[in-house]
Amino acid sequence: MIEQFQRLPGIGPKSAQRLALYVLKRPETEIQALAQALLEAKQQVGVCRVCFHLSAEDVCDICRSPSRDRATICVVADPRDVIAIEKTREYQGKYHVLGGLISPMDGIGPEQLYISPLVKRASEAEVTEVILAISPSVEGETTTLYVGQLLKPFTKVTRIAFGLPMGGDLEYADEVTLARALEGRRELD
Amino acid sequence: MFLQTLHLRQFRNYREQIVQFDAPKTILLGDNAQGKSNLLEAVELLATLRSHRVSRDRDLVQEGNPEGVVAATVKRETGVVDLALLLRASGRRTARLNGQTLKRQLDFLGALNAVEFSCLDLELVRGGPGDRRTWLDTLLVQLEPVYAHILSQYSHVLKQRNALLKRQNGDDSSNPNGMELAVWDAQLAALGTRVIRRRARAIARVAPLAALWHRNISDGQEELVIRYTPNVQAETAETDDPHQIQQAFLAKIQDRAIAEQMQGTTLVGPHRDDVDFSINQSPARQFGSQGQQRTLVLALKLAELKLIESVIHEPPLLLLDDVLAELDLTRQNKLLDTIQDRFQTLITSTHLGSFDAQWLQSSQVLRVVRGEVIKAGD
Ligand SMILES: Nc1ncnc2c1ncn2[C@@H]1O[C@H](COP(=O)(O)OP(=O)(O)OP(=O)(O)O)[C@@H](O)[C@H]1O
Ligand SMILES: [Mg+2]
Ligand SMILES: [Zn+2]
Repeated sequence: MIEQFQRLPGIGPKSAQRLALYVLKRPETEIQALAQALLEAKQQVGVCRVCFHLSAEDVCDICRSPSRDRATICVVADPRDVIAIEKTREYQGKYHVLGGLISPMDGIGPEQLYISPLVKRASEAEVTEVILAISPSVEGETTTLYVGQLLKPFTKVTRIAFGLPMGGDLEYADEVTLARALEGRRELD
Repeated sequence: MFLQTLHLRQFRNYREQIVQFDAPKTILLGDNAQGKSNLLEAVELLATLRSHRVSRDRDLVQEGNPEGVVAATVKRETGVVDLALLLRASGRRTARLNGQTLKRQLDFLGALNAVEFSCLDLELVRGGPGDRRTWLDTLLVQLEPVYAHILSQYSHVLKQRNALLKRQNGDDSSNPNGMELAVWDAQLAALGTRVIRRRARAIARVAPLAALWHRNISDGQEELVIRYTPNVQAETAETDDPHQIQQAFLAKIQDRAIAEQMQGTTLVGPHRDDVDFSINQSPARQFGSQGQQRTLVLALKLAELKLIESVIHEPPLLLLDDVLAELDLTRQNKLLDTIQDRFQTLITSTHLGSFDAQWLQSSQVLRVVRGEVIKAGD
């Protein structure tokens, strides 16, 4: 069990041990409920058919929401980035999750990412701006350039200017930094 | 600057060792394989975040331990700086400056500066181009710390691009995505250009200084010319215009596209650069005598010392690993004249008798025995 816990992100050997001891101490019913919740979440949460963010429904809450601006799409690598940007409450548009970054070393090319559905969305008339919010790593930069080139014929493409630590993930950027970055976005050249 | 203390924990063959430095020169005396070079390597690591001996932290951490520490106190003109580098066998490092953990390791660079001079450097002229690139890169990291970041990004793009070329070359059925390759080309050219311009700049600054020293050591007999020979050359050579270099870079990629596809690897870029040395107009590599090559390397090292000093406005440390015995008395004296008591110098040797007695003036002698440092005489 300790080994299993250790595989979770952010859990080292010590935390894994602590979690395992905790589980052993709790009543069986409680652990059963936890296991059930984990399984159900895994079985029920898939990805949104439109934006590929995590969603229990076929189309996610954000995509269905009538109050969100349909004219802007914010493109991110990962569902975690959607959560990070949502926390800022600055952004009122829609999202598109690519599902990763281009990385030949890991066998990930553009075909492995949700890029063509993005191009299709961006080509719809109601979309006036696509914001690329991808971390400035080597892979992030490549993905930004690639996606940017594909989208430019259809719509205005901007990218957010992060003041992020080099090699930093969006997830670790604090909310203030992210909000500021969203305001200071610039057009892709 | 002055290195006051060095603290090694589970580093190489040191379990736990604090070394106090209290003289301009420190002679580290000991038999073979006792830990003399390891100690200099620790200092080099703090100065450059690299070691010229290994590329994996697993080899730096004491065998059987998950992590090790190299820490130091350095007196600068602006105050005392505490440096600590935590090394892990797994590869992740943590760098601390004055007790603060740094988010970016490159902020660690520049707190301590050092020029390393070892027997390996004597091979610089005759060795492969990779050795000369490493020499140049190590110098650049200290002149412009941001270079460490640029270079590591360049290497990363290179690896990715090679992986892509390999995949496209290995698997004929997958139709190569020209647009993806073009994006990697653009990244390679942009970062490669930053590398090229900085290398050109460093050579432009170090070359005249080295020529001056070489002339001085050879009593005016020899003229040393150092030339950077980049793999990608802009149309007007010597240009510093990033746009021109980038254009030349992309054009050369186009030229070599078929060869790259066939070989499945990147053939264009600063990972194929070299540096040319010539003495009295003939290539030092082929025609230089042993003595001339030694003069050349000594001149280079003196030039590095002076260049770093002029950039950071303080004399850096000099680390002499086993090299002094390789220099004859004239060359030893030139070196001694230059460093005087201004450049703090750490010298390793197996016996005190192997170099001139003058070196013992204003020196402290420490004995290194099986991973422990003892004051000589104790
Ligand atoms: N990771 C490590 N863990 C433990 N010991 C190590 C480690 N790496 C190197 N050593 C030991 O350090 C010793 C070599 O030390 P070093 O290279 O500093 O020798 P030296 O004193 O410079 O000798 P020489 O005079 O031959 O140059 C060897 O005994 C080697 O086994
Ligand atoms: Mg040695
Ligand atoms: Zn959605």
